[in-house]
Amino acid sequence: MKIRTVQVIALNTFKEAIRDRILYLLLFFAAVAILFSRVLALLTVGDRIKIIKDVGLASISLFGALMAILIGTGLVYKEIEKRTIFTLISKPIRRHEFLLGKYFGLVLTLFVMLLCMSVIFLVLIFFHTWTVEWNLLVAIFAVFIELILITAVAVLFSCFSTPILSSLFALCFYLIGHFSWSLETLIKKARPGAGRTVLRVLDAVLPDLENFNLKTEVVHGLPISAAHVLYATAYGVVYAAFVLTLAVLIFRRRDFV
Amino acid sequence: MKKNVALALVLLLLALSFAGLKLRIEAIPRPTVPGSSIIYIPSGKYLKMASFGYASLLADVIYIWAIQYYGNDAIQDRFTYFTHIFSIISELDPRYVDPYEVGALIAIYDKRDTRLALTILDMGLAKNSDMWIFPLEAGHYAQMYIKDYELARAYYKKTMDIAGAPDIAKRLYAAASFKTSDLKTAWETWLDVYKTADDEQIKKIASNHLYEVKAAVDAAALKSALEQYRERFRRNAADLEELVRAGLIAALPKDFDDKDYLYDPATGEIKTQVSPWKR
Amino acid sequence: MNTVIAIDNVRKSFSTGFIPKKKEILKGISLKVEAGEIFGYLGPNGAGKTTTIKCVLGLIFPDEGRIELCGRPHLDPRAKERVGFLPENPYFYDYLTAREFLDFYGQLFEIEKAERDRRIVSLLHLVGMEKAAGLQLRKFSRGMLQRVGLAQALINEPELVILDEPLGGLDPIGRKEIRDIILRLREEGKTVFLCSHILQDIEMLCDHVAIIVGGRIMSQGRTSDLISEKVLFTEITVSGVEKSDLAPFGESLTAQGDRTLLKVFEEGKIQDVMDLVRRNGGRIHSLIPRTQTLEDIFVDMVKPQ
Repeated sequence: MKIRTVQVIALNTFKEAIRDRILYLLLFFAAVAILFSRVLALLTVGDRIKIIKDVGLASISLFGALMAILIGTGLVYKEIEKRTIFTLISKPIRRHEFLLGKYFGLVLTLFVMLLCMSVIFLVLIFFHTWTVEWNLLVAIFAVFIELILITAVAVLFSCFSTPILSSLFALCFYLIGHFSWSLETLIKKARPGAGRTVLRVLDAVLPDLENFNLKTEVVHGLPISAAHVLYATAYGVVYAAFVLTLAVLIFRRRDFV
Repeated sequence: MKKNVALALVLLLLALSFAGLKLRIEAIPRPTVPGSSIIYIPSGKYLKMASFGYASLLADVIYIWAIQYYGNDAIQDRFTYFTHIFSIISELDPRYVDPYEVGALIAIYDKRDTRLALTILDMGLAKNSDMWIFPLEAGHYAQMYIKDYELARAYYKKTMDIAGAPDIAKRLYAAASFKTSDLKTAWETWLDVYKTADDEQIKKIASNHLYEVKAAVDAAALKSALEQYRERFRRNAADLEELVRAGLIAALPKDFDDKDYLYDPATGEIKTQVSPWKR
Repeated sequence: MNTVIAIDNVRKSFSTGFIPKKKEILKGISLKVEAGEIFGYLGPNGAGKTTTIKCVLGLIFPDEGRIELCGRPHLDPRAKERVGFLPENPYFYDYLTAREFLDFYGQLFEIEKAERDRRIVSLLHLVGMEKAAGLQLRKFSRGMLQRVGLAQALINEPELVILDEPLGGLDPIGRKEIRDIILRLREEGKTVFLCSHILQDIEMLCDHVAIIVGGRIMSQGRTSDLISEKVLFTEITVSGVEKSDLAPFGESLTAQGDRTLLKVFEEGKIQDVMDLVRRNGGRIHSLIPRTQTLEDIFVDMVKPQ
């Protein structure tokens, strides 16, 4: 696999994605939401910063996920639909180089968008507390890892499904990932046996996106364990690699009619 | 083909890796703030507006969550927002009966706070003035757990006033009235039950209670007369006839079955010949 | 003379529909394209032309058969380095400018920046798009996209250029320009694989021709071999002679104003017609011997289907 080829396609994807208007629409809404937290803070009694932090992190997480899903699900599909992929595949590139290039291009785009949202957020916090809390940066980093996983899933579905269906599937993935607590409750209540083993297997295999949710720690000023961040990052990266490998497998022998 | 097999193996390897990582992550303790999931609870009204027509579904979800949450002993201070949570559910879906009943049960069994349970049931009645089950249960809890017969009585009265309420409400009301020593109401109510009962068993129960009430009334009258006798003659009366001869009472009262009351001169106790329940 | 494209007994079926029904598109295609020639690939709609090309380029995987490009297995990236491709109805990235677009493809071939810039300039000039170099592709018309597409196909100075309907959507001037470019490519020693409906262009440009009908190659060979030199009839346009006088010599077709178009089947009668016109003081406006065209062969071949 030629890294250079992946790089070229990634940069091209970045150029294409960064000019997509929907990004700026979502960025606008994210900024509005973050700044609106300032207004919400006025309505609360007590610690105002908590609300700003919570709404801010939630907005970054939510809008980041929306960007990842909305653009990711069209990424490969559009190339196939508009047949720009014909000229591309006929060049001396391997299919997986193409796929990975598209993926990393989108990740780069999301990184830039996340940076923009974070700057707005941190500036707002700074004006309230006159400090920069490192915990916030760690929480945002965790959100970024979550996003690279969601992007991988979006790209996977984009390989064989229309944007609308892909978005739905990616959204399901996101919801399942955040409802893992219900599975844990089920396991605790289940009687030992085959059923419980199945549930345990499901629990290990289904994504647990709550691992990337450091909002509670940040909002309450609790310490964030370095081990947790390390393992969570590894988890996100390995899971994303898994999803991408699946995408490569599906994409390899696909006929472009 | 070979490449596909290689890729499939890589997939398997990656899957095992992330599953392993997940288990490792779960082992790392994360500080949890009890009840942190409900830090910002909006009021029910706003939540209803925000639910875009799915208020009833949201009520279900919150209710299910609440059951798990309040059943979890590990969370300390979990009852801080108890009323608020259930008021939210009430606001979202006022006619949903289970949360009120179960909420009251949780308050009684998990928190051992009967008054909290009554608050929940009051909420239920306020939103559903046609549901007699709420004041009925409330009266029950008031009577059973805090022995507040006055309160229980008030609840039973509320129950009776609701159309379609079961007859037992009236009987409970009568019994509670007796317990609060409002013998007049007790008598009248039991009489009403006796007259309107179409079931022989209920008639019997009513008559037993009437017997009991009459016995109490009569015992009170006799005791008062005995007291006067003791004041005047500085000794207990030998028997009840003496009270009549002394002019303290007009005639000796008979019990509901027209039998005499028993009197023990040593202790001054008035008793019925039979127990009201064994007539 | 080496073989640039070698297709050997390629078969491809597709399963479509809700209840998958297998439809065989390519039923055993074999053909060879030699270096330095312009090869025409023609057939009616749905015959399998584009499917064949997609198989060659690795967009579709054939069920059976082998394909070799420049002596290498067709999926080998090294083979693709020597190939340029322009698809039918090309569509490119909306938000890139023409220059950025060509630069992107150039980077995929690992061409150095300086060399890339040089080639981009010369290619844009070749296809007549220098003025639109900085314009975003979404603003391009169909013809403009076609030209930029051709530039993209040539960015790596390929040995083999595959063109799928390159002349569609162009005005007459554009078509002439592209035709000239194709001829130039052959002069430079490149091989051109041309897929087209427009038979006149194929006849004009191609050395070799293969006709595909219903997933099978019906005919393959040198263009000159396929088209016999036999004259079918001669069309003579005359004026100054009565239609009735012309009747015995052939079929009299439409008359425009005072001109009559006469179709003469026997060669001997041509001289007689010319004498008749001279005797009456008329004029011969044109004399065109009609030989068997590719269209005739094509129609004959396709008709029984």
